[in-house]
Amino acid sequence: MIRSDAPVLLEIRDLRASVEEQPILKGVSLTIRAGEIHAVMGRNGSGKSTLSKVLAGHPAYRVIGGSVLYRGEDLLALEPEQRARIGLFLGFQYPVEIPGVSNLEFLRVATNARRQQQGHDELDTFAFEDLVHERLKVVQMDPAFLERSVNEGFSGGEKKRNEILQMALLEPLVAILDETDSGLDIDALRIVAGGVNHLASADNATLLITHYQRLLDVITPDYVHVMAAGRILRTGGKELALELEESGYDWVDAEIERLEATLAPGIALEVG
Amino acid sequence: MPAAPMTSAATVGDLVSQPYRYGFVTDIETEKIAKGLSEDVVRLISSKKEEPAFLLDFRLRAYRQWLQMEEPDWAAIGHPPIDYQNIIYYAAPKQQAKKASLDEVDPKLLETFEKLGIPLSEQKRLSNVAVDAVFDSVSIATTYKEKLAEHGVIFCSISEAVKDHAELIERYLGTVVPSNDNYFAALNSAVFSDGSFVFIPKGVACPMDLSTYFRINSGDTGQFERTLIVAEAGASVSYLEGCTAPMFDTNQLHAAVVELVTLEDASIKYSTVQNWYAGDENGVGGIYNFVTKRGQCRGDRSHISWTQVETGSAITWKYPSCVLQGADSIGEFYSVALTNNRQQADTGTKMIHVGPRTRSTIVSKGISAGHSSNSYRGLVQIGPKAVGARNYSQCDSMLIGDQAAANTYPYIRSQQPDARIEHEASTCRMSADQLFYLQSRGIGFEEAVSMMVSGFCRDVFNQLPMEFAAEADKLLALKLEGSVG
Amino acid sequence: MVAIPVGELRPQARTSPGQHWLTDLLASLPPSDIAPLASRQRQAREALAAVPLPSRRQETWRFTDAAAIPLIPAHPLEAPSAPIALPAPQPGVLRLVLDGRRDPLAGLTLPAGLERLAPAELEPLLGGSLAANGAAGTWPVLLNGALATPVLALRVGLALPTVLELVSDTGAATGVLGLRVLLVLEAGASLEVLEVHRARGASLTSVVVEARLGPNARLRHGLLAQGQAPQPGSIEPAGSAPAAPVLLHHLAVVQDPASELELIAAVSGFGLARLEPLVVQSSGAAFTRLRGLQRVDGSQVADTHSRVLFAGPDGRLDQVHKALADGAGRSVFNGAVIVPREAQRTDAAQLSRSLLLSDRARIDTKPELEIVADDVRCAHGATVSRLQQDELFYLQSRGIAADQAARLLLRGFCEEVLADLPAPASLWRPLQALMGEDPLR
Repeated sequence: MIRSDAPVLLEIRDLRASVEEQPILKGVSLTIRAGEIHAVMGRNGSGKSTLSKVLAGHPAYRVIGGSVLYRGEDLLALEPEQRARIGLFLGFQYPVEIPGVSNLEFLRVATNARRQQQGHDELDTFAFEDLVHERLKVVQMDPAFLERSVNEGFSGGEKKRNEILQMALLEPLVAILDETDSGLDIDALRIVAGGVNHLASADNATLLITHYQRLLDVITPDYVHVMAAGRILRTGGKELALELEESGYDWVDAEIERLEATLAPGIALEVG
Repeated sequence: MPAAPMTSAATVGDLVSQPYRYGFVTDIETEKIAKGLSEDVVRLISSKKEEPAFLLDFRLRAYRQWLQMEEPDWAAIGHPPIDYQNIIYYAAPKQQAKKASLDEVDPKLLETFEKLGIPLSEQKRLSNVAVDAVFDSVSIATTYKEKLAEHGVIFCSISEAVKDHAELIERYLGTVVPSNDNYFAALNSAVFSDGSFVFIPKGVACPMDLSTYFRINSGDTGQFERTLIVAEAGASVSYLEGCTAPMFDTNQLHAAVVELVTLEDASIKYSTVQNWYAGDENGVGGIYNFVTKRGQCRGDRSHISWTQVETGSAITWKYPSCVLQGADSIGEFYSVALTNNRQQADTGTKMIHVGPRTRSTIVSKGISAGHSSNSYRGLVQIGPKAVGARNYSQCDSMLIGDQAAANTYPYIRSQQPDARIEHEASTCRMSADQLFYLQSRGIGFEEAVSMMVSGFCRDVFNQLPMEFAAEADKLLALKLEGSVG
Repeated sequence: MVAIPVGELRPQARTSPGQHWLTDLLASLPPSDIAPLASRQRQAREALAAVPLPSRRQETWRFTDAAAIPLIPAHPLEAPSAPIALPAPQPGVLRLVLDGRRDPLAGLTLPAGLERLAPAELEPLLGGSLAANGAAGTWPVLLNGALATPVLALRVGLALPTVLELVSDTGAATGVLGLRVLLVLEAGASLEVLEVHRARGASLTSVVVEARLGPNARLRHGLLAQGQAPQPGSIEPAGSAPAAPVLLHHLAVVQDPASELELIAAVSGFGLARLEPLVVQSSGAAFTRLRGLQRVDGSQVADTHSRVLFAGPDGRLDQVHKALADGAGRSVFNGAVIVPREAQRTDAAQLSRSLLLSDRARIDTKPELEIVADDVRCAHGATVSRLQQDELFYLQSRGIAADQAARLLLRGFCEEVLADLPAPASLWRPLQALMGEDPLR
């Protein structure tokens, strides 16, 4: 839902980042307002996953330029946990397994860290159990998964549901979902998408990072951005995704070539 | 363009290992004997403690045996040779004989223990734990003695026990760990200074937890404490041991002996949180912790349980063991050993099944970080008469960083077909990705480390008395700061 | 301590029965004249004189009584009085009989892809796999080097359809036999080997097999060690039990990336059998599958000391070792797995399962895991028990007699390993031999 007067939640300006001294993001700008659903599409290696990791503060990625404001605050100055506490959420493409750490306890500690930040009381174990059982319904997840270690031995689909469960508990203002559709069969996709739609509201925003149209069939984006070689090449409405689906990414290559040619001096400067 | 701080990678480095919290030295006048070991030194220690003849004989026999023995070198441990003539074998704060009341104890000593979190005074002492506080070579105070005496429980320093309960000492001392058991046990038997004695009479469940806190203060003193715990038929006790030492750039030798005896239906639960100074990040200084701990389940259906959290010492050699003689007796070993920087730990247990239907459980969790080396070395031995014996062992290693070593050497020896022994081991790691995942859900770095460590160690922490478990959790997280990421 | 003059010390050390035995053995060996290895043999003989015989004072022999070695007559294996009868080889099998005397390749036409290494090629390769596995200086390897033995050295250049059968059978002969094999599998080559060693006299068979697996090479190696107690009452003085056969076997392998090694070993019937499968994954990224099964009865000792070293990342190990201990037998398993810093992403699993079947038998197992890399999966497990009561009961409840049920379960326990042997192994009736019930012998 686009409202031009809605408050800006995330303002990314000319963001540049590298991993192991290799520049991956080469100047990304993006403004996300409350109530909006954005989709970033692109091929593997286009930098779209890097964008999500940088926003969440993964230590392996180094910001070398640009800025990110989260509700007017410098996001990049914050620790990953602080970003989460003020309402930024990253749904991982490959959620890690953490043996020995109980899923339920993990969810409770995370939820309370967010609540504390918001000035709410921490939930005791009983109150939290009530909450988590209510939120389980959003993703139609078996409560048995609460008793297991975080993501340990979960199937691909179960891991993704666990991600959306966390989102349902943390109630983020900006949710970034990195390839949430990968590895899901059609039923699981529908459940996960249903969860995302359920959680979307006029007060929050969602950034979907995806390779395929099929996620966008079930979650309708307000904006679609096509990313390649570390930049956003084109922005449009949901029809842009359909266009990509039909014509493929070939035009992107041509565009990149053109862009690289015009930007060449700038790139040389950047490297120097 | 200012580089934005990118969280963990930078900040973890900045946090760095927290300084050792207990590294201070108490400035107190100390009576020390001259460095070096000889028969005269052994006699001097014995006379200072006004010991009966049987004990002097015990010491001298041990000393002569020690002279004939060779320092072991079989563990995966490397250290420069120890000069046994360069160690002081007796150091005591200058206050005469143990005081009847705490008011007479040097306030500096009380202050020291308070700083260590072990208040001893009437007003502040822990409400449910009786404490024996040992400072260098002597016990300076024991709390709740009178209350325990009402139940017939004896809890005092071993020096006092030698005077007041000589017959018990003579009956039990050296019967579990003979003076010639090994090099360091022989050394301890010759020169042991102080330690705790616990006696729980028949049928008594000790009304509170008992605890001994060992503090090494002098830089050139060896600590050779001796602990003896006897639980008569049907008796039970839970005992805790804690230890710290100041930071010195030299190494101090700690060669303790602990003996436990349980008679029929008795049970002893022995918990240790070992936090001796471990040396700095380059491996300079720290305690050499070479101790012999052994329990003997003499009576049928008796039970000995060792729980240890080993975080300190430059080098640890320690194998708390159970000799399961009584039919249906039970031995347990729950261990967390954490090594960081240049620490070396070689620890484990021996479960010697002698009697029929004896059972043992071993749960060992090793965490290796930095350039440290952490070895589990265990022996499960099933003798020919141990019909129906059972053992279950689980040894898990967690590796943090690619410079740390985790070794596992679980020996199994069985001579009894009607026995069942099972051993499982696994390794895992704490990775930057796992920590980031937790952080990205709003969980702070320290808490994330602590969650992962306590998840890994849960089976062991569950065995610790409540207040120790929380303490152990924090201690481990603290020790690991700066080693992940 | 009182210093002992050196002159007094030496003869004292020499008086141990083991050293006597060795001195006698060395004196009985023919001079080193087998080119191109004469100088190596001389070196091994000199080195051997300085290394003590295996004893329980040494950590690697701590659980293993090697007293059976010096009971073997100290001379080269005597020639058999009559040729040993072996079952006819199965089709598709190339059998090479190793007796330490004749060239097993003499008069043979080798199949395409299999060729003998020329002496000049052999020289730089021989001993390389042993050295890479840190075994070049151990007593059994030196003993093998000291024995005058032609080396069977073969190169495999492609996927060989023929199964190579290497057989030694010392029959009732006494004395010491040394056998040495070197296999070089070039990139992409594959080979199935079945090694069979049989003995029933007071003999010691010393075997060292070295193998080098090039990239993508595959070696499937079956090993049947089928000893038998000597028939009493032949040559020994009345009252003393005849010395039982001894087998000392090393298999030292160096694996290049993407190669696969599968070793399936079944051992029984020797008075003392010591197997040392040693594997180095030279740059990791290879697959090693080890299967061992050993059974002891009477006063036999069987000992497997395996060691797998990952010298690079992404290596895999799948190891299962099984043991059956009956009578007053002793079974020893020591399995080392070494994962140094460079071996990230190693995936190693080791399982040891032992059945203790008698009150007088003993089982010692000792896995050894040494890990310095953090991103690895290393699991190991060990169990020691007798047959499971509930399994026995299940079979009995279906009308099967207790002893028959036990036999069935034992067979199942063994078959899990034996089923993986190269197919021609069935000729040697591995299960019957293992259980000591081979009617053919």
